[in-house]
Formats: sequence, C-alpha cells, structure tokens
Amino acid sequence: MNRWKRHIPEGVQDYLPGEYYNKRWVEEVIRKVFFYSGYDEIESPVFEYLDVFVGDKAYIKQEQMLKIVEAGSRILVMRPDVTMPIARIAATKLRKAPLPIRLSYISDVYRYQEPWLGKQRQIAQAGTELIGLEGPEADAETISTVIQCFLDLGLKDFQIDIGQVEFFKGLVDEAGLDSKSSEQLRLLIEQKNLLALESLLEEIPLKAEIKELFLNLPKMYGSIDILEKGALYTGNNRCIKAIENIREVYEILKDYGLEKYITFDLGMIYSLNYYTGIIFRVFTKDLGFPLCGGGRYDKLLSEFGYDVPATGFAIDIKRLLIALDRQGGLKTLPNTDILLVLDKKNRQEGYKLSDQLKKEGKRVEIFFSTHNNKSPQEYAESKGISEVIFL
Amino acid sequence: MITIALPTGRLGNQAMEILKQAVEGLEELEPSSRKLIFHSRDSSLRFLLVKPSDVPTYTEHGVADIGIVGKDTLLEEGSQLYEMMDLGFGKCRMVVAGFPNKKDSWVTQSYTRVATKYPNIAKNYFSGLDETIEIIKLNGSVELGPLVGLSDVIVDIVESGRTLRDNGLVVLDEICRISARLVVNRVSLKTKNEPITQLINSIEKILEEK
Repeated sequence: MNRWKRHIPEGVQDYLPGEYYNKRWVEEVIRKVFFYSGYDEIESPVFEYLDVFVGDKAYIKQEQMLKIVEAGSRILVMRPDVTMPIARIAATKLRKAPLPIRLSYISDVYRYQEPWLGKQRQIAQAGTELIGLEGPEADAETISTVIQCFLDLGLKDFQIDIGQVEFFKGLVDEAGLDSKSSEQLRLLIEQKNLLALESLLEEIPLKAEIKELFLNLPKMYGSIDILEKGALYTGNNRCIKAIENIREVYEILKDYGLEKYITFDLGMIYSLNYYTGIIFRVFTKDLGFPLCGGGRYDKLLSEFGYDVPATGFAIDIKRLLIALDRQGGLKTLPNTDILLVLDKKNRQEGYKLSDQLKKEGKRVEIFFSTHNNKSPQEYAESKGISEVIFL
Repeated sequence: MITIALPTGRLGNQAMEILKQAVEGLEELEPSSRKLIFHSRDSSLRFLLVKPSDVPTYTEHGVADIGIVGKDTLLEEGSQLYEMMDLGFGKCRMVVAGFPNKKDSWVTQSYTRVATKYPNIAKNYFSGLDETIEIIKLNGSVELGPLVGLSDVIVDIVESGRTLRDNGLVVLDEICRISARLVVNRVSLKTKNEPITQLINSIEKILEEK
C-alpha cells in the first residue's frame, strides 16, 4: 500500500468527534452574537484571483499565499483572508445597499506558514466587518462584539489590548521621515527594544520633543492611566486626535460596562499599510499568542473603487478552542441517549417510535441484534448509552 | 510563576550569574546538572535549559515567558518577541569573511557561494545588497568553507578574530553587533506584567552596578 494514503499534510488537521462538537458549539455561539447584533453572514469563494489580495500595498506576503497557477488563467489563490473578499463584495454587489453594511463570516482561510500549535495552514476564522461607519461608536461596537463572543463562551481572564496607529503615523509625518527610517523605528518600537531605539534616534536629526515621544511609545502600555501621564503630550494634531479617539472609545465601552476587559498599548504598531486607526488584539494568560485581532481599515475599500471607512476583526477558532480547553471550558460530546432494539417483526412500529423520540430531542441509535455479535446491553455499556428499549 | 528559557553553555551560565545577584533564592541552583527544569527556592521562577537556537521557539510559543538568547539567534529565527534588554555579555560581531584577495572580486561574480550557520541572516544581508547568493548550510567550523573551495565567503560570528587569522581569512564586512538579549513573550508581558517588570528592573540594577 502507498503509505501516503494514510497521512495528511503538515498544517492541516482532522477534527475528530469531541473537538469537532466543540468547534461547532463555539461557532454557533459566535454566530448567534453576530446575528443578533445585526450582522448578516456571507461566504466568499474558497479560491479567487490573486489580484484581490495584492495591490499598491502588500497586505499579505505573497510567500504566504497558496497559489494555483494554470496555463490560460490568471493566478488564483486559496483565500488568505476574508476581509478583502468582503471589501470586494461591498464595493461591487452591495454597492447600492444602504450604509452602514454589517457583514460577518465563519470561514477557513489558507496561509503557508511554519505550523505549530495554533498556527496551521488552514485557519478557521470568525469575524465581522462594519462598513461605511466612522467614529469611536463603530470602533466600540466592534470591540464590544468581540467581548460578547468571549463572554458567551465563558472564556476567563481575557483582555483586549487596544492601540492606535495614527499616533505613530502622525509623529512620522511631522518628523518628515522616509519610509526606511520610519520602518526601522516602527520595528524597534513594536519590539519594545528601548536601547536600540535610543541609539537609532541619536542618528536621526529630530526635534527633541519628537524624539522623546518616539522613545516613550514602547513604555505606553497598561491601563487607561497611561494617557494621563503627560508622556504623550504633543501639539501634533494627528496625534491629539488619535488620543482623543482612544478616550472616546474607552468612554463608550465604560458606559457599556466592559472597561475591565480593556488595556492599552500605544507601542502596538503592526500592519501600518492596512490599519488606519484603532487596532486591537485579544489574549488570555492561558495562551502565549493572541486569539483575535482587528481594527480600523479606512483605505482598503477605496482600492476596490468604493471610498468608505470600515472596521472589523477576526477570531482564530482553533486558538480559542485551545484556550477554552486549558481553562476546562469545553463541552463533553453527549452520548447517545437511547438504544432501541429492533428485529424484523417490530421494525415498522419501532421506526415510528424512534422518529418520535428524536423529535423530542433524544439521540437514538437503532440496534438490530441479528447484525451484531454483542448483546444490546453490552453494546450500550461500551458506548455509555444509559437507556435500552426493547419493543 | 515566571518561566525563563536559559540557553545551555556559556551564555546561560553568564545569565545565571546575573540572575543570582538580581533575585534571591537562586544561590544553590546548579544549572550544570542534568536536570532540564529547575525552580527557585520559593518556586516563583522556573527555568528551562534549552539549546540556544531553541530559546526563541520556547518563548514565542509562550511555554517560557522570558528567554535569554544571543542576538544572532534572534536575527536568524525572526521571532515575534519583545526584545527588552541588552544584557551586555556574549559580545561579538556577525561578519562576512573570506580570503583578503577576494575582498573586491567576490562582489562582482554573478553569484557568491556563502557557507554559514545563519542562512536567514546571510540571505537578508545579501538581498539588501541586491546580490545573488547560494547558501551552503553548515553546522560548525564554517571557516573551512573557503579553505577547501566549498564556498567563496562565510557569514559567521567572530569574537577575537583569532580563528579567522589562523586560517588566513579576513573580515570583509561587518553585518551587525551581537550580544545576549532578554526577550519576553508578547502575551506574558501583558498578563504577567508586574513580576516580569520587577525582574527586568532588578537585572537592570545589577547591570548598572557593573
């Protein structure tokens, strides 16, 4: 026998009954939150043109996409992300829909990456996109939707870490930095590498005030109090607006009673080509990497010819399952409730009875003793079925 | 409890010396024993002894909150970590080295063969120069490459330069400076902020006193 017949490639997995039951449970809880918050679920194709995912700015590395190359066709990719297909759909098929548009999805995305726990190549995601709405209310809606999902799932000890990329962008703008030095700065701030940041800032001619602000950014994480310390004080309009935006989002979340889940990190500055405002990540102490990420991306839809703002997030379902498992928060797959023992003579009325029991919400297995060398009681015991019915 | 991934070997021993001064309850720890996991006296710190190149992996996965690792390994692995301290020991340089008479000619060949333990660092460096290279991955004694014609140059760390000199090789270019770093898992810094910040502050104090 060809031994590969019995294997699957790296980075994908079989979901066996116990885990799949929980995956479906998690998805159903999340689906309900989305649905009752006014989000309409859609599905985009599993593969489409590479062009959808590349543009003036590289949002996803080409190396990470699973490509399909055929003679006579444009290059296709397995969808590496759902937000961009949704942007395409909003800009074309839903162009005439009244704004804002609320869309959600629960779909797999595909990325070529070195697999490890919680980092596979087929990634189950659930997320929302709120299209055509600006302002802190929309950001707060997105963040509160995330929190509601985790609360309904009973996830413990989670926190939403919020950043705002406009503060950094405003400083870069004022300093007039070229893309090379701003990328060097970004990387060192994102790594919280203070020493290297300090020596890089010594090489770049900058106003002392701006230098100080760049240097403070990596330390600006924690509770809302970080905004009060004066370490972010600046006359830069773009930066002031960014801080104001954070405050407003926080005030809304506070009124919603959700402030205890919120922390801040002004030094969180990744995917700057993509994000244009509030960004956030969610984590729990039971998992060493984030379960969810999102933020505002006001420039993306204009690449599809529809200039409207948008904000959204994606939850990584596998990571969520790992975190819930570590917290003991997963469900047990229920056993069959009833074993209904039938034979040739009573199968007619037996089938009717089984149908009736199922409609009452029981899981019913039918057992034909002629086709089994175990007794019904033995079989029921081996499968943990508590009730055996003979007709 | 905070878990620290310590590299085996000299770097780990030097880190342990500093940790012993910074934290109470580590005096009797003997990391040279064959145990792979050991604890501080009050169990507030747990140490994992791992191969130096595996430190970023343990820390990125979050099984260790903190890692002590050379900048060379960090650059090579490219992990998503907070790099919060330069510990100042384990100093050396990452360089391109080869025969002196190749000093200018190697850049003009259509491609250069590079023997190295650090394929990613070499690829990044040469792609920044728009040069095409062929990587020959070795696991040690990289200097042998140019001597026996396996490669044109090497990319490796040098401390004193003695091994290069003894083999008639010279430094052709410096890629960057290397030293030991303290890295922190991105989630741990937020979820275990207080003990981690405290530990970093006490290490900083010891380093300043030195």
